Amino acid sequence: MPLVDTKYFGTLTYREESVFDFPLGIPSFESEKRFVPIELPEHAPLLFLQSLAQPELCFLTLPILVVDSGYQLAVSREDLAALDLDITRQPLLASEALVLALVSLHDGFCATANLMAPIVVNLKTRRAVQAIRQDAVYSHQHPIATRAREEAC
Amino acid sequence: MLVLRRRAGESLLIGDDVEIELLAITSQGAKIGIRAPRETVILRKELKLTREQNEAAAKALATRDFHRAMEELQGI
Repeated sequence: MPLVDTKYFGTLTYREESVFDFPLGIPSFESEKRFVPIELPEHAPLLFLQSLAQPELCFLTLPILVVDSGYQLAVSREDLAALDLDITRQPLLASEALVLALVSLHDGFCATANLMAPIVVNLKTRRAVQAIRQDAVYSHQHPIATRAREEAC
Repeated sequence: MLVLRRRAGESLLIGDDVEIELLAITSQGAKIGIRAPRETVILRKELKLTREQNEAAAKALATRDFHRAMEELQGI
């Protein structure tokens, strides 16, 4: 099995078919085309997106419904086409698409998730894009309910 | 913020060399045409926000002790 060097988890083995393939990278990281998802039971429901190219580049993500259980997808036709998904409707969560929110940490224990631009993965092909919404319905800095936030924010 | 009312086909000018024309208005939104010097950067605002937020997200782990970062996220 192939190996990936990571800054936070040491050297890990991964399965080639588990890799998320971002043909366009993501904004500001356009040259990063391949990430491997890492799930650790002790940190569930977090999912780490580890770059295969840069050991120190690892994003924290959460399944979008963990952040907002009522989240409504609005992936553009262009992004659906880039994902090889049906462009006439939104994909089904869990069975067709994995949708993740990128997490940022801010000083003072106030974690936020980007609900404006979720990562959408076609579960059949593992193709992925960052699908930027154009409808201003969700925030790029949505507060995440954590124990620390209850105390500090 | 300056607020103006424009109809389809009408323009407004910003500085000496940027023209913004409201081409059409439909239930889907407004179609806007921009005439500007080639070197002027024009971005959808949400793309700029996404770039900035991605850079911040990449630092979430890079600039913190890993265990401290995990502590901040306890109780999700």
